[in-house]
Amino acid sequence: MAAPAIKPRTKLDVSVDKPTPYTFDLGLLLANDPNPITTSAIAPSTPASASSHEAQLAATARDAAQALINQLLTTCPLSSTQSGVLLTLPASTTALPREKPVPEAKPPTKWEQFAARKGIKPKTREQRRMKGQQYNEETRQWERTWGWDKGGKMRRREDGAVQHDWLVEVDEQKDQEDKRKKEKEARKKRRKA
Amino acid sequence: MLRQIKPRNARSKRALEKKAPKAVENPKTALFLRGTSASQIVQDALTDLYSLRQPLAKKFTKKNNIVPFEDPSSLEFFSEKNDTSLLVFGSSNKKRPHTLTFARTFNHKILDMLELHLDPESFRKLSQFKGRKFAVGLRPMLSFSGTVFESPVKNEYTMAKSLFIDLFKGDSSSDKIDVEGLQYIVAVTADEPVGENDKPAIHLRIYLLETKRSGQKLPRVELQEMGPRMDFRVGRMQEPDEALLKEAMKKPKSTEEKTKKNITTDSMGDKLGRIHLGRQDLGELQTRKMKGLKRNRDLEEEGEDSMVIDDDDAPKRRKN
Repeated sequence: MAAPAIKPRTKLDVSVDKPTPYTFDLGLLLANDPNPITTSAIAPSTPASASSHEAQLAATARDAAQALINQLLTTCPLSSTQSGVLLTLPASTTALPREKPVPEAKPPTKWEQFAARKGIKPKTREQRRMKGQQYNEETRQWERTWGWDKGGKMRRREDGAVQHDWLVEVDEQKDQEDKRKKEKEARKKRRKA
Repeated sequence: MLRQIKPRNARSKRALEKKAPKAVENPKTALFLRGTSASQIVQDALTDLYSLRQPLAKKFTKKNNIVPFEDPSSLEFFSEKNDTSLLVFGSSNKKRPHTLTFARTFNHKILDMLELHLDPESFRKLSQFKGRKFAVGLRPMLSFSGTVFESPVKNEYTMAKSLFIDLFKGDSSSDKIDVEGLQYIVAVTADEPVGENDKPAIHLRIYLLETKRSGQKLPRVELQEMGPRMDFRVGRMQEPDEALLKEAMKKPKSTEEKTKKNITTDSMGDKLGRIHLGRQDLGELQTRKMKGLKRNRDLEEEGEDSMVIDDDDAPKRRKN
C-alpha cells in the first residue's frame, strides 16, 4: 500500500481559472463559458492545424466540464442510498418555452358556486372525526350525543351506576289533578255503559 | 383539432390525457425526419442525433416533401400526430447543402426554426469513434463556450443555444441525479466573431468523462471524444412570434405555498414567529388603579375642599 500512497502526492490540478467566471444552471447541468475563443485563426484545412483546433476545443470543453463537476459537487447536497450516490439539483433557471399552453382552471360547479356564496367550507378531518360527540365537563369524557351510547349510557351501565333520577319529588298539585282526571274519565265510561 | 374528440373508451381516454396540456409538462419528444433529398452526411447526422436523444425520440425513414421555411404545415401536422414538440429536419440541395433544420412547436404550431448547415469535411459519425459509449437515457452535461451565446440580443446563436438545451437536456423531471450518471458532456463552442457580419461556425462535440483521483476532494476530469463531431454554419432562422412566445413562456401557478413572512422553523422543528410591536408610550402605561388617582374625580372635586381627598386616602393607608 506504500507505493500507491505516494503517487497521488503529485496533486492533479482541479481548479479552473478563467478571466470571466463561468455561470451555471445546475438544474440543467449547464455551464456557460463567456470567455472569447479563437480556434480557427488558422483555418483547419491542413491536418496539423485541424488537430490543434480539435485540441483547443477539447481543452475548453474539459475546463467547462471540470468547472461544472466542481460546482455540482461543492454546492449540491449529496445523499448516498443503496442505488448509489445521488445529487440533488436545484430548479433550473434558464427559461425555456413550454410545449403546450398552461391548462386553464376548471369552471366551478353549481355546488362550488353555492358553497362559496354561503361561505360553506368542507369539514376538517378533526370535525369529521368528532362528529356526534360532545365533551362532558363533569365526567371529563367524550360522549355521544345520540344513538346507543347517548350520554355515555353504556359506560354508566357497566359501572353499575343507578339511574341518575332514581329519587323524584312528588308534585302534589299535579298528582291531585291527575287523580281528578282519572275519576272523571271513569265516570264517563260508566255513563256510556 | 384532435383534442376535441370525445374518448369512447378508457384506453383512448388515457391516451388523450397523456397528450393534454399539463401544468408540469412531460419531457419533450423529438422527431427526426428527412426531406425528399438528403445527403448521406445529413442522414448519418440525423441517425446520430436520434441515438443521442433516445428514448425521447422518434425517427421517420421515408422521404417527406417538406420545405420548412416556406410551408411548415406538414411539420405542424407531424408534431400533433406524434406529440413531438421538437423537430429535426434533414435535407440537402445545391443552394443549401447538408442542412439540418431545428424547429420547436408550441401547441403544435411552429414557434421557432433555425437552419444549420453541416460542414461535410469535418463531420464524423458516432461509429467512427472507437471506445466506449454512454448508456441510453442518461442526462448529459452541457457547456456553451463563446461570447456569442451570451448575447443579450436575440440572434442565431442564442436561439441555437436554446434549441440545443431543449434537445439535449433529457428528462429533467427528477431533481436527483446519480453521480455515476454524469458520464458525458455536450460541448458547444463558437469562435469570437471577427468582423461585423461574421458568423462563426458552431462546433458541436460530445465527450465522455473520465474522472481521476486528484488527491483532493474533487476529482480531476479528463475528456475523450465520443462523437458525433459536427460543425455548423448558421443559415436562416425564423424568430418566434411575440404573442406566441409570451404564451409559451407563461409559468403555471405553482402549487408550492408562499413562504409566510416572519415565521421560521428552527432546527428542533419548533415554529418561531417574529412580532413587530409599535413604539411603546410609557405615558399611557396602565399602572395600579386607585380611587384617589382618578382624574375625573380630581376635576369634579376641584372646587371642593381638598381635605376630603385626604380623608379618603387616609383609611386606605392604614389598611396597608
